[in-house]
Amino acid sequence: MSQLKLPPITDDPRFLDMSYEEQGAVEEERRNLDSLPVEERKIAIDYWNEVKSDFRFNEYLRGCLNCGVCTSACPAAKFYDFGPREMIQYMMRDEADKIYEFVNKKVWACVQCYTCSMRCPFNNEIAGLIMVLREYAVKMGLKSAKEILAPYRRILYVVMTTGNQVTPNMIQPETFPDWGPQAVEEATNMDLYRKAVPVDLLQRSDIGWHASLQTAVELMTIMIESGVLDSIKNVDQDLYDMIMDIYDERSQQLREIKEKYEKGELNEDELPDSWLDL
Amino acid sequence: MMSQEEKKIEEQIKDSLPYADQVDWEEVYQRVIYRYSTPHGVQHIKEELERLEDRGELIVHHIKPHNQPVEYQTINGQPKKIPTTRLWHHKSCGQCGHIPGYPTSVFWIMNKLETDYVDEPHQTSCTGWNYHASGASNPVALAGVFARNFWRSYEIDYYPLIHCGTSFGHYKEIRNMLVLHKEIREKLRPIMRKLDMDIVVPEEIVHYSEWMFVKSKEAARERKYDLSSVKAAVHTPCHVYKLVPDDTIYDPSVFQGRRPAAPTGTVINMGAKIVDYSTWWDCCGFGFRHILTEREFTRSFALFKKVIPAVEEGHADVFVTSDTGCVTTLDKSQWAGKAHGLNYNLPVLSDAQFVAMAMGADPYMIGQIHWHATNVEGFLRGIGVPVNEYKEKFNQYLQDLKEGKAESKYLYKPHRKIDYYLTLPDRVQWLKGGK
Repeated sequence: MSQLKLPPITDDPRFLDMSYEEQGAVEEERRNLDSLPVEERKIAIDYWNEVKSDFRFNEYLRGCLNCGVCTSACPAAKFYDFGPREMIQYMMRDEADKIYEFVNKKVWACVQCYTCSMRCPFNNEIAGLIMVLREYAVKMGLKSAKEILAPYRRILYVVMTTGNQVTPNMIQPETFPDWGPQAVEEATNMDLYRKAVPVDLLQRSDIGWHASLQTAVELMTIMIESGVLDSIKNVDQDLYDMIMDIYDERSQQLREIKEKYEKGELNEDELPDSWLDL
Repeated sequence: MMSQEEKKIEEQIKDSLPYADQVDWEEVYQRVIYRYSTPHGVQHIKEELERLEDRGELIVHHIKPHNQPVEYQTINGQPKKIPTTRLWHHKSCGQCGHIPGYPTSVFWIMNKLETDYVDEPHQTSCTGWNYHASGASNPVALAGVFARNFWRSYEIDYYPLIHCGTSFGHYKEIRNMLVLHKEIREKLRPIMRKLDMDIVVPEEIVHYSEWMFVKSKEAARERKYDLSSVKAAVHTPCHVYKLVPDDTIYDPSVFQGRRPAAPTGTVINMGAKIVDYSTWWDCCGFGFRHILTEREFTRSFALFKKVIPAVEEGHADVFVTSDTGCVTTLDKSQWAGKAHGLNYNLPVLSDAQFVAMAMGADPYMIGQIHWHATNVEGFLRGIGVPVNEYKEKFNQYLQDLKEGKAESKYLYKPHRKIDYYLTLPDRVQWLKGGK
């Protein structure tokens, strides 16, 4: 009987690591970046360096026992090809290529419930790390961020320009049929139902509650000054242009109304009940 | 002058720690605390907050005697002050948008319990829903939204009470970040200056469900219907107790202090029975972006991991929870189950609606239960609420509104037109003084 020939065992901890296509010792610099298309290698490294340089990274990533408690409790892991343990392992091993692949799809499956963070024996802030990954994916305009945010752009538009994230009238029969006949009935008679809510701020169907013009402009100012709009520009140029136009218009309106009010020249009767109708 | 002994000590320090001069000990101290405490050690955060206030680096909105605070314990035994009156409503966009009976129940209960409050159009969303859904934000922006909203409550001296579970968890996290990171404060300050504001941090971040729990015994005294036969399953919202876990109140009367006090304690105090189920700790399936653009996940999770265990294991009559996303998800995800023969139709209510309607609030005018997809009417009939009478009255009101025969009714005085445009300093005086 011939002797079974086993491959030589190396002392490299990555030996027989199933997350790698290429087994065995690989030089630090090369890792498995060669598994990525040439044009993506630099992006992957730049992306990972940006994430690591964020002030939250060291605080949130503390260590890992590879125990898998995070994944066993993860709602997304039950329905998607996703698990926080996998992500933490890539991070612990500084694997730019695997992180890049993870961000290109899986990272968006997380439902942000923070169960993993609460359960982790090492006190990793796992859901927070996922947010850091997502934030930089948007900031650097990665393809996955563009794809995932395309159906979400209306929400982004609302939250950036009105001071409010949702509108009652976003529940349309054709987009939310799974919410049942009640939702269809509301959608059909939305204005009337809203009028019957006994709080004046809640009586419009195009805004969750009615924030004031000044408040909406203040929020837009924060978003612009802090660089959020620059990030949005990288994933959706049209949306960026639209929001900036609205900002110019709304801040101009606010300036004029404020000036007139301070001079005692404002005729309130000339204003519509809501600035949304200006 | 340094004594001989002190000099010797200095030399010994230099010998044993050769890099001592180059080390930022403040940072080391913070990192040690950060690593070896719970994720965001709230005791440390509060100590730091005091130091920053002393140095004038930020303004702390204190809970004052006129807020009539009561003290409860957090999971680590640390005290947390809950203000009970003179409150500023930090509303929830999802509640106001899709479950309007949620905030109206809170206002109604406050009217009933003679609580002083202000609700005004000078608040924005916390933007936490957007952040967790899309990642299209950053720490400075999130801190800016936090500070702007809290400035508005600080300037009129009404203490912020946060309606949404995500806003609550998210703001706890932002507070910790603002306190621990000078660079965030430094980037934020010029933005706040541009808005004629400064960085304001409330002494405590308080969720309305904590207020509701504190007031629930008082509310129970006004109870109109007997709830002793009600079997309620509770879903405690993840962002209330898993985000900054040591800053949520616990009480020995609720699972021996081993699960958050609210909203379970509120339901107990109102006289209903709590039923347990194996996935009590699990998420509802909201997922932030998922509820909007990937609902196949949300529906499956809510049904299989929450509703079915609550009914099959706990035989629940009603699901009570205390957050925007959880009410929406648990309520709206059940109807589609019919396609697979899973017709559970378990009524879902927020704790505020549950309390208000037990106290006799109109289920349509106040509870706004017609926005719910599940069988809330059936549940109310079961506890003795004359649902049909209320429904008839409400339908008439709708008809009258439609035909212009009735004016809208309000829980508090409607704002002036100018309040929808500008944030004026006399706004509270006008609202409270009736000028």
